[in-house]
Amino acid sequence: MDSGFLLLQLLNGLQFAMLLFLLAVGLSVVLGMMNFINLAHGTLYMVGAFVGFAAAERAGSFWAALVAGPPAAAALGAVFYAGLLRRMQQAGAMKQVLVTFGLIFVGIDTVRLIWGDYEQTLPAPSVLAGSVHILGQVYPAYRLFVIALGLMLALILHLGLERTRLGAAVRAGVDDRVMAASLGLDIERAFFAVFCLGCALAGLAGVVAAPVLEIYPGMDMAILIPTLIVVVVGGPGRLAGAFLGALLIGMAETFGAVLVPDFSGFMIYAVMALALLLRPQGLLPARHSS
Amino acid sequence: MSTGERRQHIVAALLLLAALAAWRFSGYAGEDRLGEIAVWAIFAMSLDLLVGYAGLVSLGHALFFGLGAYAMASLALFLKGSPSLALLAGVATAGLSALAIGAIVVRLAGVFFIMITLAFGQMGWAYFLRARAFGGIGGMSGVRQIDLGRLGLDLANPADFALIAIIAAALVYLLLALITASPFGRMLVALHQNEHRARALGLPVQRYKLAAFALAGALAGFAGGLQAQRTGFVSPELLVWTTSGEVLIMVILGGLGTLVGPVAGAAIWVVLRHILSDMTAYWMMAMGLFFIAVVLFAGGGLMGLARPRAAADDA
Amino acid sequence: MLEARGLGKAFGALEVTRNVSLSLPAGARHAVVGPNGSGKTTLFNLLAGELRPDYGSVLLAGRDVTRLPPDMRARLGLARSFQRNNLFPDLSVRENLALALAIAQRRGAVFWRRFARLPGLAGDVEALARRLRLEDALGRRARSLAYGTQRQLELALALAGAPKVLLLDEPTAGMSAEETAAMTALIADLPRDIALLIVEHDMEVVFEIAQRVTVLDYGRVLIEGTPAEVRGSEAVRRRYLGERVP
Repeated sequence: MDSGFLLLQLLNGLQFAMLLFLLAVGLSVVLGMMNFINLAHGTLYMVGAFVGFAAAERAGSFWAALVAGPPAAAALGAVFYAGLLRRMQQAGAMKQVLVTFGLIFVGIDTVRLIWGDYEQTLPAPSVLAGSVHILGQVYPAYRLFVIALGLMLALILHLGLERTRLGAAVRAGVDDRVMAASLGLDIERAFFAVFCLGCALAGLAGVVAAPVLEIYPGMDMAILIPTLIVVVVGGPGRLAGAFLGALLIGMAETFGAVLVPDFSGFMIYAVMALALLLRPQGLLPARHSS
Repeated sequence: MSTGERRQHIVAALLLLAALAAWRFSGYAGEDRLGEIAVWAIFAMSLDLLVGYAGLVSLGHALFFGLGAYAMASLALFLKGSPSLALLAGVATAGLSALAIGAIVVRLAGVFFIMITLAFGQMGWAYFLRARAFGGIGGMSGVRQIDLGRLGLDLANPADFALIAIIAAALVYLLLALITASPFGRMLVALHQNEHRARALGLPVQRYKLAAFALAGALAGFAGGLQAQRTGFVSPELLVWTTSGEVLIMVILGGLGTLVGPVAGAAIWVVLRHILSDMTAYWMMAMGLFFIAVVLFAGGGLMGLARPRAAADDA
Repeated sequence: MLEARGLGKAFGALEVTRNVSLSLPAGARHAVVGPNGSGKTTLFNLLAGELRPDYGSVLLAGRDVTRLPPDMRARLGLARSFQRNNLFPDLSVRENLALALAIAQRRGAVFWRRFARLPGLAGDVEALARRLRLEDALGRRARSLAYGTQRQLELALALAGAPKVLLLDEPTAGMSAEETAAMTALIADLPRDIALLIVEHDMEVVFEIAQRVTVLDYGRVLIEGTPAEVRGSEAVRRRYLGERVP
């Protein structure tokens, strides 16, 4: 394996990692804050992709997709939160998981109803359609864009978490929800805002992934499990955990598919199982209080 | 026998009568459906032992369903052995795998248990998807059927298969009814209600959870073997997480921890799926909405609805 | 029967238990008292096996059980009750008792006969219920019982295994005067040879039941002695009543 090949795979891994990161952030923080696994998180990814695709078709430009997709996903998330989730706070973790599981089915068919059964394509914008010379290799410009976007968002989110009041409320809420609420921080609103933000990021991931992966009903299921693995491995509730987990899984998937193709699918789940057994709180645990 | 148990057995008897009546009077399609329902009923009952009684919510139970099916199919195919022995071997394979995997996973609880069972289920699916020895994504067809010629039955005939499957389901019900009413079964209920106290009283909780996990896995393997007999082929779809989700839906629909509820849940889900998929291409949406409604408004499932509002004070 | 040797436990920087030792021979009636935050609960949990100590050891009938989890200690004859009722809420009183008895008698693994028909179990349940004045409540769901009755059931569960060592965590917590008197009478009626350790806030109960008292203060043993010694102790008075040393 020469260095050029290595570089290409590293970049691919990084690109996939950024996608996973965008998806994992929402899921992770929600899990850390509300102890709730939203299995329908992938649905938002799919909705973002499809709505983005529709907008791009209408406007004739990729950038319309970026503008339309995330808000659509956020809106859907908001409706779900206000209409269903809030009512189910007392219902227990299992019921919440089951309801979101039912929503997956609803989501897939809704998308099929509107856009049909077939694959759609959302090509990269012309300005990014070419290739770039990087460190002696040729690499698609669009994929570099994905990497840059991901890193930039990671930075923005980090600053938001550390420097804003909303961020402080979120960090407090993840650390100790009861305590934070009793301190008068508006936890409910913080949760809602963060939830919607997570949904928007999932929608963004859908749009951004579209030129690289496929858009089709059921794409949510393909991406949900890797996202879940990232959350588990990285540690629920922390931005850095989602980032680290995404890097690990993104690289593992990419290199695994190239080096041990027969094993790679299996390997990912083995990593998840190992993480759950050896370090269930994740690589970067959120809870500091015991 | 408590009132709850009595109600359970009465409903079971009624369901059996209904099944036999349906078998007697329905045509080809109906018999095929009955066979399908019976297999899923066994699968669902096995999961109820785990989820409803022991309180271990698994999203990977299809792993053992699929293992039983693949083991049965491959042993009959590759070893040219008797298919009935292969079926037993399938049950043993599923049960032993459940014992091995259970030893690892029962240490976890709640959300983590859900996730690790999901992980193991997907590991199995991913393996069979690529395993050329087992046909990969296409699976294996031509599963040899058990020869019941001596009984005058031919499993290739849907009517005969349905009858055998219904009887098998009834036997599984009786077995599980006995087990859940036994001290072992009540211990599972105890650790579900209050694991902390059960442990403080001296119950070796992990051992009991493991036993439940292994037994549930073995029975799921039995259902899987029967499925292979029914359809004549096995594929990775048997192990995918949505299969685990579907059987969980059946248990919830019917009523957790009621044993007979999941049988009804299986019947409803299978029939509903066929009716809806005939009516519309978007049957998944209808099923999803239906399931959500059940979880939200009828959390106790069908059996929960059937229970009169008895005095909550008296048990 | 039960011995704690130099137990210590810290949570982060906070030392909750500091070098605590005590000895519980058969037939002991020993109380552990102290203000809130003195480490009573932690000590209790260390003895019961819910927590692992950072240093020190716990011996049960001479055997080192420091590394053993609660269920193993229970099987070796140690039973405990909980400060907040810890029952099987949706099951009947009868079934609560039956389960506790079956677990203690190691009959949980039987899967081939009905639970209700285990030989002798019904009789044992009746006997236990009678001892704890629960005969009238047998058919009722545990969560529907009055608080005081739940406390009785709580104690009954701990006694089901005929333990050699019994740890009671604030058994009269939240009780009225009559309920407290009834509970005290029940405790006084316990078999003579049981080693009893009771964590209590109610000093009257302590002085009525206990032969020895350990006073905890910020995690360490302030004094241990007979109730009279403790009552007369200058150190205790200072701590409990907050009198400052001039």
